[in-house]
Amino acid sequence: MNMLAEKPNYNDDIVKLFTIASVFWGVVGFAVGVFIALQMAYPALNFGEYLTFGRLRPLHTSAVIFAFGGNVLFATSYYSVQRTCRTRLWGDGWSKFTFWGYQLFIVIAALGYVTGVTQGKEYAEPEWYADLWLTLVWVAYLIVFLMTLKNRKEPHIYVANWFFLGFIVTVAVLHLVNNISIPTSLLGAKSYPMWGGVQAAMIQWWYGHNAVGFFLTAGFLGIMYYFVPKRAGRPVYSYRLSILHFWSLIFMYIWAGPHHLHYTALPDWAQTLGMTFSIMLWMPSWGGMINGMMTLSGAWHKLREDPVLKFMIISLAFYGMSTFEGPLMSIKEVNALSHYTDWTIGHVHSGALGWVAFISFGAIYFLVPKLWGRKELYSLKLVNTHLWISTIGIVLYIASMWVSGIMEGLMWRSYDSMGFLEYSFVETVMAKHPLYLIRALGGVLFLAGAFIMVYNVIKTIRGDAVPASSLKSEEAAHA
Amino acid sequence: MIDWISNNAGMTGLLFFFGTFCGIVYWAFRPSQKTVIENHKFIPLEGDDA
Repeated sequence: MNMLAEKPNYNDDIVKLFTIASVFWGVVGFAVGVFIALQMAYPALNFGEYLTFGRLRPLHTSAVIFAFGGNVLFATSYYSVQRTCRTRLWGDGWSKFTFWGYQLFIVIAALGYVTGVTQGKEYAEPEWYADLWLTLVWVAYLIVFLMTLKNRKEPHIYVANWFFLGFIVTVAVLHLVNNISIPTSLLGAKSYPMWGGVQAAMIQWWYGHNAVGFFLTAGFLGIMYYFVPKRAGRPVYSYRLSILHFWSLIFMYIWAGPHHLHYTALPDWAQTLGMTFSIMLWMPSWGGMINGMMTLSGAWHKLREDPVLKFMIISLAFYGMSTFEGPLMSIKEVNALSHYTDWTIGHVHSGALGWVAFISFGAIYFLVPKLWGRKELYSLKLVNTHLWISTIGIVLYIASMWVSGIMEGLMWRSYDSMGFLEYSFVETVMAKHPLYLIRALGGVLFLAGAFIMVYNVIKTIRGDAVPASSLKSEEAAHA
Repeated sequence: MIDWISNNAGMTGLLFFFGTFCGIVYWAFRPSQKTVIENHKFIPLEGDDA
């Protein structure tokens, strides 16, 4: 017990670096997203060869998933593993290598995207040299995390660390298997994958779906299991449910990938397997969502008073919504309508913006005052403004994509009395134009919210005085 | 033995993993360990915030 009472000298410098990088890459990724949304509405915005939609789209997805989301995961896992293990993060030099190494990977990958160097695999676009470099960085991350767990003073490994470790190990396996390729020369960027045909497609979507399952879900659930109880000042609703949540996701998620390949050359039994496991995922996903939300049981007033906690709980609502929608879309009959339409884009963004980004914003707002030794954020009012402007942005985004997706899916399958297709492809594109404008407006609002966060974070780090008008709401939040 | 397992790998794997999962559920939800396991939930709230 004496060991537990000691105050370890935590390594927060590395957490600060990853937190700043998260905010920076977040704004970059959101801004590119807004630009490519406008390109969809106005194709004339495709300038030259470097700024076409085809090259900027992977830049956007990688910037928001791997650069923004990845840096948030590094920051939060390094912060929480130290505190739940009551020990300093192992290997200062190693953790610093993970920071600079990961930023270098992001830059190498981004330069490849705009110059047309790509494997052409969704969410796994970087070529072999970038993949090898990321492998080194990721192994270092695993070693730092494992050694910190090994040095722990707390006998039990808290469940958030299980989720973080599950995320680190599984992403390593996915990355290695999906990116096995043979370079054409050691001095050239081009490589050819080991896998071909339907096997390549299956491995790609085993990777792709589990990037969602373990990078964007398990890792961010690790954030939820540490930061929601911390911000609420209450323990998670049920620890046993959190154990069940973890093992259910681990056992089920890995099988769900084939639902990306419905009605393709993939054997029908594999498609049905993917659909079945996707539907089964409803249970652990909702169990986890309920566990997170019920952490506030008996203290719901905190939700009204604290906008940071609001970010976290709204993110759980989006987690529940998108993990309901995903299994629904994996059902073959639904997928026949939804696949290749904007419905998928809407679904992805309800998860990415509503769940991943909102829990990240909540964690960043929690971390910044703690890391820089401030009593509280510069302005909780601005956090509230960020929350609502972003929520409106997300609603505009996903609602427009639902309408656009279902509309185009129905138009594609519409026949006239003679048995001919009723609409040409270009007619579906024209019909979607107003919805693309609404989507872009939603993106602009979300980006505006991120700029508000940047301002608030900078003012907090500088230690500027809280405006008098914000004091009242700040006091209320901590009443 | 190995031949039998390789010929029945699908069913063997299914039963093994399902059995393991059921074992984990039993381990987590044993009534006798409820208090011990639930007490771990307080770990983030104890000590720290240096």
